[in-house]
Amino acid sequence: MLDLRPRILCVGTANPPDRYSQKELLERYQVTDPKLVSLFCSSHIQSRHLYLPPGRPEGGPEPETQGDLLRKHRKGALEVAPQAVERCLSQVGLGVRDIDYLCCITSTGWLTPGLTAILMKHLGFREDCSRMDMVGMGCNAGLNGLNPVSSWAMANPGKNALMLCVEICSAAYVFDGSMRTAIVNSLFGDGVAAVLVRASEKDERSFSPKILGFDSHIISSALDAMRFDWDEEQGKYSFFLDRDIPYVVGANAEKPVGRLLAKFGLRKRHIAHWIVHSGGKKVVDAIKYNVGLTDFDVRHTHSVLRDYGNLSSGSFLFSLSRLIAEGRVRRGDYGILMTMGPGSTIETALIRW
Amino acid sequence: MYETLRLDETGDLATITLLRSRINVKQIRELERVCDHLEDVSKAKVLVLRGHSEGIDFVDFDPREAMDIHGFNKWEKLVNRFENLDKVTVALVDGPCVGGGFQLMLVCDQRICVPSASFQLNEVRQGFLPGMATFRLAKYIGLGHAKRIVMTGAVIGAEESNRLGLIDQIDADLDAALARTIQSFGAMHTVAFTLARRLLNESYGTQAEDALGNFLAAQHRAISQTAFLDTLRAEHKKK
Repeated sequence: MLDLRPRILCVGTANPPDRYSQKELLERYQVTDPKLVSLFCSSHIQSRHLYLPPGRPEGGPEPETQGDLLRKHRKGALEVAPQAVERCLSQVGLGVRDIDYLCCITSTGWLTPGLTAILMKHLGFREDCSRMDMVGMGCNAGLNGLNPVSSWAMANPGKNALMLCVEICSAAYVFDGSMRTAIVNSLFGDGVAAVLVRASEKDERSFSPKILGFDSHIISSALDAMRFDWDEEQGKYSFFLDRDIPYVVGANAEKPVGRLLAKFGLRKRHIAHWIVHSGGKKVVDAIKYNVGLTDFDVRHTHSVLRDYGNLSSGSFLFSLSRLIAEGRVRRGDYGILMTMGPGSTIETALIRW
Repeated sequence: MYETLRLDETGDLATITLLRSRINVKQIRELERVCDHLEDVSKAKVLVLRGHSEGIDFVDFDPREAMDIHGFNKWEKLVNRFENLDKVTVALVDGPCVGGGFQLMLVCDQRICVPSASFQLNEVRQGFLPGMATFRLAKYIGLGHAKRIVMTGAVIGAEESNRLGLIDQIDADLDAALARTIQSFGAMHTVAFTLARRLLNESYGTQAEDALGNFLAAQHRAISQTAFLDTLRAEHKKK
């Protein structure tokens, strides 16, 4: 019983219906500043799913207040999250009434009661389902959430824990023509990832990865490098990304990876699969050259970035879902999950199929 | 400890001497074990691959059994590990260097041979392919010469190999040439060295936009190391 580790049984993902190319967005927002245009047009992101306000007759989108953005977050979450839940649970023939623990992660909108409560009513979860809402931790939060979710699963063998990363990043957009907001607006996309975690003897023969352990690394000297703070002028929350983030993350990336490998007596060459957060082209480059990963190792990180942009906390689960669908994984393979975000922080987890 | 090769380690120098004239499965397994040791334990800064090889020993292939590709994949993984070791790698070739031996020699950072050495990729003549030498060779010597060597299986002498850029030095005294080569590398800052090698190896297949991002990531790693700070401090002291 003691070595009954929780497993990631299945992953489901979903996005809003409307998908935009970077070029379409520039046209829609009438962006002509060459600096901003070149930011949008670099080739590593091709399209993103977003909730955008309708266009005005005179051109440009309808302005959105902070209230509009908060409503968009709630409405978008309620539209997309149920699809991700269905796509996840249907893989193992479960429904929401089979779920014993629900964890919702988001950084794109504040809600009280939290998303768990809203989704439980909306989808009809059992009234004795336990809940946790994790709000505001940013892109790394998927692993900060997976850690307690897997602990809960281990403490409650046979029970089903469902974790959702619900990021409606278009509800955190501010369009003011500045470089600061353009960096954010050119990068993030909307999407929800759902993952089912369970520690059960009856899954021992299933082909799914066990969660073996975690390692975290916080870089306190870069506390302000990524932050979501109030823009007085715009009357909205506005996200800020420091240009040195890729290098701060890169310079520290080996530390948690090294500790995680050492805990399990492994070497980097024993890791067959790297599931890295699609933070942005430069961040992924920094991880590649500091951890020593190839383009092949980060192929899903790149393709998720290309097709969806940065989906914040759910990005790595989109990559994991693609890895599983690819059919290359073999029983016994090790994988490392890696996310990075505000703090600044790098989160890692070791899994094994 | 090993049957098909010998591993000697003295100070900063590790030397693998190939003891078989043909590469068999056992030798590949032992080379994998050597790689484990070099990656996990060895503190050597220079790895020398020494000897000669006449290519694969077909004794391990049974013509009555279905051929499978996985053994070839294992071989490529091994060659790739040699290519990416965190040590300066030097090949010392003292005789014929054929097939798999050629492939291993090719991934070394410096390649030195005796005047009587000869080089050949004879796989195509035998109906198969010379591994990922098909990918690497043209980068060293150009597509035209690579086609001749790969497709005709021509035997190339030391002089011509040197002229083509396949071999860096010819010397009857391999030990003397090795000593000079090691000296020429200077302090050998492992991180800068391995990053430079990686960027060079990637140089032919990367778009300029991606290459710039790769370079900046690598450069940041390099300048964050103590080696670069030491260089700066030494330069400031001079003034």
